[in-house]
Amino acid sequence: MAVVRQDGSFVIETSELTKSYGDVIAVDHLSLRVPRGGVFGFLGPNGSGKTTTMGMLLGLVHPTSGEARIFGDPARHAATLKRVGAMVETPTFYPYLSGRANLRYFQGISGRGSPSEVERLLDVVDLAQRANSKFGGYSLGMKQRLGVACALLGDPELVFLDEPTNGLDPAGVVEVRELIRNLGTGGRTVVLSSHLLAETELVCDNVAVLSRGRLIAQGTIQELLREHDALRLRTTDDAAARVTLAGLSWIERTEERDGALLVTAPQERAWEITRALAARGVYVNEIVPLHRSLEEYFMEITGTDPTTGKERQ
Amino acid sequence: MIGNVANLGRWEWFKLRKRWMLWILLTFAILFAQLAVWGQFFSYQNLVRTGGELTVPASLQQSQGRAPRTVACNDLLSGDAARQPADLDAQVVAGLAAQCRQLAAAQPDRLARAYQSFTLPGAFTAALGIVQTLALILMAILTSSAIGIDYGSGTLRSVLTKGTGRWPYLTAKLLTLVLLAGFGFFITLATVAVSGLIAGAIAGAAATSPNVTARTWSDAGIAFTKAWASVIPYLALTTFVTVFARSSAAGMAIGLGYYFLEQIVIALFSGLFSWFQNVADFFLVRNISAWTAAAGASGGGFGGGGTLPDTTHAAIVLSIYTLAFGAAAFWFFERRDVQGATAG
Repeated sequence: MAVVRQDGSFVIETSELTKSYGDVIAVDHLSLRVPRGGVFGFLGPNGSGKTTTMGMLLGLVHPTSGEARIFGDPARHAATLKRVGAMVETPTFYPYLSGRANLRYFQGISGRGSPSEVERLLDVVDLAQRANSKFGGYSLGMKQRLGVACALLGDPELVFLDEPTNGLDPAGVVEVRELIRNLGTGGRTVVLSSHLLAETELVCDNVAVLSRGRLIAQGTIQELLREHDALRLRTTDDAAARVTLAGLSWIERTEERDGALLVTAPQERAWEITRALAARGVYVNEIVPLHRSLEEYFMEITGTDPTTGKERQ
Repeated sequence: MIGNVANLGRWEWFKLRKRWMLWILLTFAILFAQLAVWGQFFSYQNLVRTGGELTVPASLQQSQGRAPRTVACNDLLSGDAARQPADLDAQVVAGLAAQCRQLAAAQPDRLARAYQSFTLPGAFTAALGIVQTLALILMAILTSSAIGIDYGSGTLRSVLTKGTGRWPYLTAKLLTLVLLAGFGFFITLATVAVSGLIAGAIAGAAATSPNVTARTWSDAGIAFTKAWASVIPYLALTTFVTVFARSSAAGMAIGLGYYFLEQIVIALFSGLFSWFQNVADFFLVRNISAWTAAAGASGGGFGGGGTLPDTTHAAIVLSIYTLAFGAAAFWFFERRDVQGATAG
């Protein structure tokens, strides 16, 4: 598992959180900490336990064992949930009520906010024109936007958004991305679950990666990707270079790829590589730092495609 | 806690009043109550006009092969030859007249009872006798729909993430439905009151009889309270089934089906086994009938036949049913994981 660096207060803490359905373990002894403020990416292939974990945090799913806390209090407490907004999986609303009436209802039962907030949020998610239409007649994108608006009712300190860009057109995706980025400022925490890793990389400060119910990595995106930084080398003698680099303990891996050497090592120590090679009479023709995307990182550590959830061949 | 439940109840009403179903069901209740009032009114008018009617079977008519027909006692007893049935044998007419004379002796009592059944306050009791039976079915539909929609549309998840709490949410729902049942009875009886006043004005002077005890407002109040209370155990049954099956369709099917199934089972097995009557005395609908019948409402003629249990027995049995179904519903609602939409 990747190194976890956390400090300050945490809005979410789970300890050995486990959920099993018969013999199937959906979430396996998950110990997770989400720092206060910013956007936290909750990543994992389909069936990795993301939604079940969210369900346990939101009091929808009873844990088999372990503990989940939000703001330091048990996650199931109604008072705790009053400070939380959530959109889990497909947004669900009363089909015979209009978008506006649905928001008024959910605002009413939460006991927070004012009628003007409903109008403001309808504007924010660009649904003001269709606010009086029945929810049952909404397109998937409109439903998704109403779900985001509902999650933001009452100005919650913690917002869970599960695949918020599902069904949105490209312009809508950009709008929601900007919205999420803005939400993560000013002390509010957004927990974003998405399989669109390029989107996640653009808005998230921290991420946790789940696979088969287990937490396999957590930290800032920079930290996680830096662990897998690589350098591409072209030398005067690749064979000799591999022998030399094998002697450096801090180099994680050296492999030959596309007629060059791919060296997995901290990029700030590139100068040590060139010095060691030169000392053995091997000279560097080209050295290029390579940055992996979150998607490449995800595929590497989970062994699955983030979109399909299928294992890589 | 109480404030939270009150707030949730308020918003439950917000949802319910925007559904056509509520108003359609209320319309049904009002129509049935109106049928009861005006049906009684026209029966009274007919009784006044005819003095009672006797059916003459086809076998007693001179022209064979005709359908059975009725003759009015007022015609038979008028002594006016023009009003005597021409197609009947004189002996038959004499026999019918004798029957009519017997009826005429009881006519003041019949008129007094008929008059009370469409004028205030007796119209309330008469209407409740019809509407109470219907209310069980209507409340089963409304309850299963109001609770089941949260499973079918998956909205339970959205609701609970707003920090409502499970117990308060279900409690608020049930209290709202119970209050709505009372509201439905009230509105229905309000229309009965208007119709009763109109019908009474049309009917003219009250028909009275020293043998017929006048219906009182107190009787009407008790009948109203008992009819209202009688929906609670049935509401508990429907709630339990809907929550257990996580489906409004299941709640509706059991809510409607059980009502009739119980009648069939009692009728079938009571005929086969004499001891079954004792078992039947602990059945739900039979005890609802017993509970309401004691207040003057007939229970719509349901209850499976035979002597109904007494009111105390019915009250105890219905309380046990309510607590058992209610506790089971709350237990499942509290303990179960909440999933997405079930579309059922």
